[in-house]
Amino acid sequence: MSSPLTQLAQPVHELHAAVRELEAAARPLEVPGLHGREWFELLSNKLVPQLSEEAFLIVAVVGGTNIGKTVVFNHIAGSRASSTSPLASGTKHPTCLVPVGFDETHDLEALFPDFTLQPAMDPEDALKESETHWLFWRTEESLPENLVVLDTPDIDSEARINWERADQIRRSADVLVAILTQQKYNDAAVKEFFRRAADEDKAVLIVFNQTQLPEDEEYWPQWVGTFCGETGLSPEHVYLAPYDRRAAEENRLQFFEREWPPIEADHASNGSPSNVDSESGRDLLADLSQLRFGEIKLRTLEGSLHQLLDQRAGLPSYLREIEQRSGEFQQATELLSAHELAEIDSWPEIPSRLLVSEVRQWWANQREGWTATVHGVYNTIGRGLVWPFKTVRAQIQGEATPPIEEYRRQEWSAILDAVEKVYSKLTWMSEIGNPLLRPRLESLLGGTSRAQLLKLLEKAHTEIDLEQELKALVSDQLETFRVDSPQTYEFVRRIDALAAAARPATSVVLFVTGFGPVGEAMAPMLAETAVQSMVHIAGDVAGGTVAAAAGETAISGTAATGAGYLEAKLRKLHVAFTAQRAAWLAGLLKEHLLGDLPEEMQHAAEIAQGPEANRVRELLQQVEDQLRQSHEQHPMATHVGSSEAS
Amino acid sequence: MSQSELDRLEMLAEVDELATGAARWAERESAWEPAQRAAALLKRVLGRVESLRVRLEAPLVVATFGGTGTGKSSLVNALVGDDVAVSGRQRPTTRQPVLIAHPETELDLLGLPKDMCEVVRCEADLLRDTVFIDCPDPDTTDTDDASSNLERLRKILPYCDVLIYTSTQQKYRSARVVDELTEAATGCRLVFVQTHADLDEDIREDWRQHLSGRYEVPDVFFVDSLKALEEQRQGHRPTGDMGRLLDFLSRQLASSERVSVRRANVVDLLSAGLERCVKIVDDNWPKLHTLQQALSEQRESLRKKMATNLSRELMVSRNLWERRLLTAVTASWGFSPLSSVLRLYNGLGALIASFTLFRARNSAQMALLGAVQGYRWLEGRSQVETAKSSLERASALGIGDALLRESQLVIAGHVKSAELDPALAVPKNLREMRGQAGAVERDFLGDAAGRVDAIIDELALRNSGWFVRGMYELLFLSYVVFVLIRIGRNFFYDSFIEQQPILSTDFYIPATVFLVLWTGLLVTAFTHRLRGGLSRKIEELSHDLVNRQMDQSLFPDLQRTCDDAEAGRQRLHQLKERSTQLRRTIATSDGLGATKSPPSRERSPVGQEL
Repeated sequence: MSSPLTQLAQPVHELHAAVRELEAAARPLEVPGLHGREWFELLSNKLVPQLSEEAFLIVAVVGGTNIGKTVVFNHIAGSRASSTSPLASGTKHPTCLVPVGFDETHDLEALFPDFTLQPAMDPEDALKESETHWLFWRTEESLPENLVVLDTPDIDSEARINWERADQIRRSADVLVAILTQQKYNDAAVKEFFRRAADEDKAVLIVFNQTQLPEDEEYWPQWVGTFCGETGLSPEHVYLAPYDRRAAEENRLQFFEREWPPIEADHASNGSPSNVDSESGRDLLADLSQLRFGEIKLRTLEGSLHQLLDQRAGLPSYLREIEQRSGEFQQATELLSAHELAEIDSWPEIPSRLLVSEVRQWWANQREGWTATVHGVYNTIGRGLVWPFKTVRAQIQGEATPPIEEYRRQEWSAILDAVEKVYSKLTWMSEIGNPLLRPRLESLLGGTSRAQLLKLLEKAHTEIDLEQELKALVSDQLETFRVDSPQTYEFVRRIDALAAAARPATSVVLFVTGFGPVGEAMAPMLAETAVQSMVHIAGDVAGGTVAAAAGETAISGTAATGAGYLEAKLRKLHVAFTAQRAAWLAGLLKEHLLGDLPEEMQHAAEIAQGPEANRVRELLQQVEDQLRQSHEQHPMATHVGSSEAS
Repeated sequence: MSQSELDRLEMLAEVDELATGAARWAERESAWEPAQRAAALLKRVLGRVESLRVRLEAPLVVATFGGTGTGKSSLVNALVGDDVAVSGRQRPTTRQPVLIAHPETELDLLGLPKDMCEVVRCEADLLRDTVFIDCPDPDTTDTDDASSNLERLRKILPYCDVLIYTSTQQKYRSARVVDELTEAATGCRLVFVQTHADLDEDIREDWRQHLSGRYEVPDVFFVDSLKALEEQRQGHRPTGDMGRLLDFLSRQLASSERVSVRRANVVDLLSAGLERCVKIVDDNWPKLHTLQQALSEQRESLRKKMATNLSRELMVSRNLWERRLLTAVTASWGFSPLSSVLRLYNGLGALIASFTLFRARNSAQMALLGAVQGYRWLEGRSQVETAKSSLERASALGIGDALLRESQLVIAGHVKSAELDPALAVPKNLREMRGQAGAVERDFLGDAAGRVDAIIDELALRNSGWFVRGMYELLFLSYVVFVLIRIGRNFFYDSFIEQQPILSTDFYIPATVFLVLWTGLLVTAFTHRLRGGLSRKIEELSHDLVNRQMDQSLFPDLQRTCDDAEAGRQRLHQLKERSTQLRRTIATSDGLGATKSPPSRERSPVGQEL
């Protein structure tokens, strides 16, 4: 008989695959994995293997430790199929009995995907301690076709791996034979287990074991009542088994069926007919074979489907979790990008002296013909004159730091400024308490990573050739100047030629006023203030020209504007250079301090709306729709389903 | 007083000492957060310990503990020989703790929460020395409800001194009960009882094996409560294991044993508390340790940097060395022709050197100026330095602002992850750090100056022995003598006798020039000699300085906090060690079961399986 739900097999299969993909995609979100989620375990252990199968029932004997599960199992099996022991939590692996030929028509591995299957050779196998989830199976002739019977480990001992295995079997099962005792029927662990079974709409047979008859006759309805009330189960049959160890060992324990719900005492006295024979022992296997297979199968499959589709605990809750988590990442990303990490506002200006000399150099390369020679000669003479002063100073005060190194030092200080700012901003952000950003930022803020970053920055900073940078920038900018304003360029060049003609006078003037060799020697004493200040530098650039032309009023006016122009030009160079350096630092900081963090967070924020999530939503909708349709087509299914839905 | 009495007293004293030690530790101030957490925890534990010490002499409180249906109430009834607690087959039977006491027992002294319990009076012999509490079960509750059995049980357990742990064949491995016992057993003596002897098989061996991973299990009893109650009712003494259990209880829980049982519980509690504290502190230790390492690394690199800079500067300042060496030599020589010349040169040199020095920035040469002089100079200068608000500070030994700020950045990170109070641990601003750096430098230079002095003395002494001195004096004098003879001969002989003209300035000028040249040559040669082996000495000095332990640190408060935390941690470990030892001693001298001390738990294979 084919289940009306067979048509759901395909979409459920796809859903299973899609959910796995979503899990893989959602890894950056750090959402707890699928394994261990009830709906997912049902999906992969119950729905995927059983939806497309022909109707057969999986019967599992379940219950607390040391209350005789295996005894009941052996009774059903009609032999000592599994070993018993007076000591607790003896059974550690499930044992499975299948009807003859079942293993040929069914793939047992697919039926119990979480277990490693092993043919049962020895009843002692199931008692072995092992990390692997074994499932021992063998064929049993006495079983009717389409009935699979399992013995399971306990659900309450401190060997928690047993619970895990029992839970997995519970999910696969259609019928649970619940073994209860007077001591354990109200235990929290037991109730929890059966509450889940009730959620999944399993068919349940209760066997109250180790009862003291007839004294317990008056108690058992209370016990079963409490148990059913606490768990929400309603058993198909209720049996009582006496406390008879010897009978149990010899596999001749008797099971007396009791009417459930119990007939009221006055009803009984009225002699209302009871179809339960309370005096003679029942054959559990026979009772199991009488169950309405198709209906129960449908019911448990639907129960699992409802768990899967449950808004509160099923797949939708997982999707919500992912959405929420993505939202949190979104928030964190926004937080991270809403605040700029540091404004680098105190970048040192490169000493104009350097800039000027670079400009001069460039200019010198532009000179042609006799002007080049004249300027060259005078510059050489100037250097020659300055040399002894420099040498003496070096002797007395030690080698002076080259200005570019001095600038490098200042830059380093500015870099430290920036790093300090960035760290204090990040500290502030981590203290705001965004739970996602916090751990990530805290690892960035640790001393070791700080030391690493500083080391890295220092290395990069020492390695960079500032002079080369400067040279490139200057020639780039001035080249633009020459191309963009050829007239001005030509004008300056002409002035320069004039200066070459007047060069002897200029040099003398400079020497006297302190711009020459003495100026070189005196420079540090004057503390780089007067001589190095912007205007003075601009003056120095045009120095030769302006001073030489001083006498000639005709040019002086233009020269002044020329100087002003150059000053503006220099300022522009300064700004350009500073911007270039600051960008360099920002790049380094982003790369080495934050790394891929912003991108990773952004990526995580987008997962909830990614293709994997959408695919899962789509399939979920499809399964829901088809389930509804099948209800419409098969009223019986609707009936069973509605009890769950209500 | 007997020997055993003395032994007992000694042990009691040790317990007291342990408690005092723990209390003192809990009172410690620490800027380290994990230590604060541990101290807060320990204070709570000590609160419980205190309540035990208050009722040290009061009757012992014995409680039943076990899963529902394991016959707790039946056992209590059987022990006192009367139906004091309701037992039944509906689960759970007992919902409220039942307190069973002798009519003469003053319950107020025990400080028990009587409003939580139902009080029953009963004249059983066993109750003369004890109070029994029949507890609700820990295993039927699956909600976090304040009125649940589990919550009621948890409230009553801290008042109990002895737990009778009952179990059955069905329940002895129930996870909930086993877990709950782990929580409850600390600070209690334990008695293990398997009930339902009438129905169940004896599983005591297996049970004992499972228990022995975590507990000391001297004995396990296997009793039939129903039969025993019947026997008691008929006026018989219970037979079998129940009789044994009764004897055991009246012996172990007698009034004479009260103090030792409670002391053992005190040790148990303290030991558990200390163990947890150690765990808290140890778990967080690596981060603090990283900070410590960072600090010491930073100190070391600072030292290295200062030593390298110092030795480099010492190497280049030749003038200063010569001056100092010459001063040392002339001082030891006293007055002589050559030493006068040396002094003269030295004086001239000093004039020039001091002129250049004050303009120059290589201030570490101050060390060379001599310990006293240099130190004073440096102190004055560092005051000027710290007052400077300029961003860049010219450091004597290369501890520039950049370095200070780098250190601060890195250390601040370590401080943050080590959960230290950031405000306390890092200087508030650069100025403060500069001051600290100045102190470090002063300390370093003061030491270096002392060593330089020693080197100078040694070099001066070695290179200016009487032979060297004699030779140089002779060489110097020989020129002077030669010139004097020349002048003398010219004056006395040539001019008087030979009637030749007396020497004119034409002679004296070159003579003076040659004198200057000759003395110059001699002084140069001499100073060169004095400087022999100097480079090696400087190298040694710098090596010494690198390896020297510095008293000063850039982060003195932080350093102190770290040292303090380490000391606290060590003390805590000592306390824990002591408590474990005491626990072992008590466990072996006691017939009652108890929680095992942790090391044995780790060894136990069962413990691993759990």
